[in-house]
Amino acid sequence: MKRDWDIIVVGGGPAGIFAALEAVKSGASVLLFERKREMGVPVRCGEAVGKVDFCSYMDVDPRWISSEVNTFIMVLPNGKEVKLKSNIYEGYIINRDLFEYDMAARAAEQGTCIRMRCNVRELLKNAAGEICGVKVEERGELQEYYAKVLIAADGVESRLARQAEIDSVLKMKDIEPCVQATVSGVDIPEKALYLYVGTCYAPGGYAWVFPKANRCANVGLGINGKYSEKNRNAESYLRDFLKRFFPDAAVQRYIAAGVPVTTNLKVLSSPNFLIAGDAGHMVNPLNGGGITHAIKSGILAGKAAGEACKKPEKMQAFFDHYEKSIYRNFGKNHESQYRIKELVYQMSDEEYNRIGEEVLKIDIRKRSFLAVFRQVVKQHPGFLADVMRAFAGI
Amino acid sequence: MLLLSGHCDQCGTCIAVCPADALMLTESLLSIDHQACTLCGLCVNICPIGALELKNEA
Ligand SMILES: Cc1cc2nc3c(=O)[nH]c(=O)nc-3n(C[C@H](O)[C@H](O)[C@H](O)COP(=O)(O)OP(=O)(O)OC[C@H]3O[C@@H](n4cnc5c(N)ncnc54)[C@H](O)[C@@H]3O)c2cc1C
Ligand code: SF4
Ligand code: SF4
Repeated sequence: MKRDWDIIVVGGGPAGIFAALEAVKSGASVLLFERKREMGVPVRCGEAVGKVDFCSYMDVDPRWISSEVNTFIMVLPNGKEVKLKSNIYEGYIINRDLFEYDMAARAAEQGTCIRMRCNVRELLKNAAGEICGVKVEERGELQEYYAKVLIAADGVESRLARQAEIDSVLKMKDIEPCVQATVSGVDIPEKALYLYVGTCYAPGGYAWVFPKANRCANVGLGINGKYSEKNRNAESYLRDFLKRFFPDAAVQRYIAAGVPVTTNLKVLSSPNFLIAGDAGHMVNPLNGGGITHAIKSGILAGKAAGEACKKPEKMQAFFDHYEKSIYRNFGKNHESQYRIKELVYQMSDEEYNRIGEEVLKIDIRKRSFLAVFRQVVKQHPGFLADVMRAFAGI
Repeated sequence: MLLLSGHCDQCGTCIAVCPADALMLTESLLSIDHQACTLCGLCVNICPIGALELKNEA
């Protein structure tokens, strides 16, 4: 097996796959390592994506689309449903396993060498202390591989960033432990993303019900240790939720997972090294969406790595550009979303109910996220000041 | 000592919060570096399914 490569990508999630696809386009030799035994599996994800955004990155195979959604329904602690008509929102619930499987195949067709069941254990550094490769555990044996540029797309479990001396350890309040059951035999009345808000469902987070094809749905929740009851984990909240809303549903798939709900890592590169996707905490901290951010950052990282291989003397400039592009594309938004998250997740169930009731009085055609937001501001004394502060960055 | 006392789903959530880099996933299991672990308990609290436990050594 070849030891020296232009680019090594660690992680075969959306960030890694798209990084490889883009890097290979530049003519570089690309090796991708994935720890697991199968691409796309298990699916640790609600699988919801915005249609326009998602479709802008590739030709979408119809098999990837499980269902289409066009509405948000917020379920209040008192059980009332607040439907938000958003004429701009159109989304898909995808079959993420098929999507990743097929995209990995496309990357391989384009020339990426994909190695499964390979656990990257550590970064290798040369005599000058520069990152130059990885040590990989391959079926019980340790092997070394070298590259001009390394892309860490190793997800929430990332250890590579810290090895590059970038502090990526998440604070407890900045990660949501999640559990999700994919259930079958359920009838969901609307083609909507259902979000259950309030401490009674998921303290410091929310519960979701995303309808898939054939009477299936992804039912999951994320909580925050700062607001949850002592000695209760995410699983125990989901158990209650399923008992209450889907007592007869059969569980087809059950997973645990973690979502970083913070701002992007401040530093996303060092010499010969780039970070993409969840490894760089590139998830919308308010709603936990990260698929398209992983894709976008993967593409940008693959491009920067490809350019750096061609013109190593300009690597710093390409990497600076990468960091700036990430910030412009979504890093900046995540900063304000983070501040809003910090505020809304501490709202009490009574406040959610009160705000919901007010929003229900608004004509459905005018009931947007902005309308909800206005009510929050009106109902929650001091919230406006908090929000202003949030946006002002104080 | 930190122990895996329940079923682990290999989700990696615990790794993200470990300040000592004492946790790592291999192809199919979570490995604990007991020498590096400081017994801070953060991983025990964050695990979505309660798979980890801190036990006093007898
Ligand atoms: C419960 C849940 C629900 C979610 N719902 C949604 C949603 O509805 N919509 C949305 O947009 N986003 C959602 N997200 C977020 C989304 O799943 C992530 O943002 C996305 O998967 C990030 O992609 P990634 O490629 O960065 O990381 P990942 O998809 O995590 O991929 C990282 C890969 O790297 C591999 N890896 C890690 N370490 C190593 C190593 N040392 N060696 C080799 N391989 C390694 C892992 O095995 C993994 O395959 C959800 C997340 C969770 C947890
Ligand atoms: S107890 Fe603390 S140091 Fe030990 S593995 Fe868990 S998080 Fe890491
Ligand atoms: S958080 Fe729990 S389930 Fe996930 S890898 Fe760690 S011990 Fe296993």
